[in-house]
Amino acid sequence: MSKKPLHVLEKIRENLERLNQKMEVMIELQKHGRQDFQPLADAPLDVMTLLSMPDHLRKTAMTICRCGRATAEEVSQQTNRARAVESAYLNQLVIMGYLKKERKGRKAYFYADRDSQG
Amino acid sequence: MPTETVKGERKMSKIIAVHSYKGGTGKTLLAVNLAVTFAKHGKKVCLFDLDFRAPSLFSILKVENPGCWLNDYLNGNCAIDKVLVDLSSRIEGNGKFFAAIANPSTEAIREMSAKDRKWEMRALGKLLSLRSTLLNDKEFDYLVFDTSPGLQYSSINAIVTADFVVVATTGDRSDVDGTRRMLRELYKLFEKKTGLVINKVLDPTSKSKKDEMDARVKNIYQVPMLGLVPCFCEILRAEGNLIFTQDKPNHPFTNILDEMARKIDRDEVN
Repeated sequence: MSKKPLHVLEKIRENLERLNQKMEVMIELQKHGRQDFQPLADAPLDVMTLLSMPDHLRKTAMTICRCGRATAEEVSQQTNRARAVESAYLNQLVIMGYLKKERKGRKAYFYADRDSQG
Repeated sequence: MPTETVKGERKMSKIIAVHSYKGGTGKTLLAVNLAVTFAKHGKKVCLFDLDFRAPSLFSILKVENPGCWLNDYLNGNCAIDKVLVDLSSRIEGNGKFFAAIANPSTEAIREMSAKDRKWEMRALGKLLSLRSTLLNDKEFDYLVFDTSPGLQYSSINAIVTADFVVVATTGDRSDVDGTRRMLRELYKLFEKKTGLVINKVLDPTSKSKKDEMDARVKNIYQVPMLGLVPCFCEILRAEGNLIFTQDKPNHPFTNILDEMARKIDRDEVN
C-alpha cells in the first residue's frame, strides 16, 4: 500500500478516536446530570479543589497529581477502572479547566499545568 | 523506593505525615521522636517542618541557620538537597538523620500565610516530587512530615503526598469530635491509610482506661490504633530540651515509639 492511503486511514482513525472521546464525555455528562460541570474561573487543581470533587473524579485527578503526566491507559492501571472510563473522566477534567491535554503521535497525555498558572 | 531487609525481601519506603485536628496534641513530639527512632533503627530519614505558621524544628533540633529553608524549596528558589541538614552525627547507630527546616522569622510566617491557591498547587507538586528526588534518587527510607493542625493548605498538601498518616489526638472532647470528623471527611476522601495515636492518656495501665480507649477507637474513630501514649511528667519537665528517644533510651516513651516505628515499618497497622 502506498503512503497516501495509509495517511488517510491514520487520519480517519484519529478522528474516530476524537469522536469516541467526545461521546464518552457526553455519556458522563448525562450520567451525572451536569452537576460536575461548574468550573470556577481559572481554578487550579489544588487540594481544596480535590476535596470538593465527586469521588469518581477525585480518584482520577489524584492519580494525575501523583504521576504528573499520564495517558488514560496509565491512569486506568493505577485506579483499576476501565481505560474508556478514565478517558471520559480525564476529558471531563480537561473541560472543567483542571487538566491540560497534549497529543503525541497516537497517545494523548493529561497533566495539571502547574507552571503556566499564576 | 524499595530497600533491602534482613531476609532479602524488598520493602517500600514511605512518606509519613503526622497530623491532628487541634494544636497541642503532641504532633511535633511524635514526629521528631518517630523520625529519630527510624534513624536509630538504621534507616535513612528526613524530618520536614511543614508547620509554616508555627515552625519549631529549628528550635528543637537547634539548627539556627541552614543553607536554605524549606520555604525556599517550595518557593522554587533552591533544590531540595540545599535544604537538607545532615544531623546524623547526633544519632547513635548507622542510620542517617536529616531535617528540612521551616523559616521561623515573622516575615516568613506572614509571607507563607498569604500564599494563593496557585502557589499551593505548585507546592503540592513540589512535595509530590520528593518521592522521586529523595525516595528514589537519594534512597531515603522515610520522609516524616510534621504538619500544621486542622485543615490548612500546607497540612492537606502533606496528607495528599503521604502514604501513611499518623493522627495524634487527646481525650479533649472538642478534639475527639474534630478528629472523628476529619477522619471521615478528609483522610477517607483521599483514601489515606491512617494510624491513631491517643496522647496524654491518664492512667493508661488500668483496665477500665484501656477498655475505654479501645471502645473509643472502635466506635468513634473506626481506624487502626498505632499507639497509646501516657501523660509523662518528664516530657513536660524537659520543656522541649530533650529528644527522648535519643536522650532517654530506657524511658517508657522511647519504648512506645520503638513499637510504633516497628509497626509502621512492618506494615502492621491494621
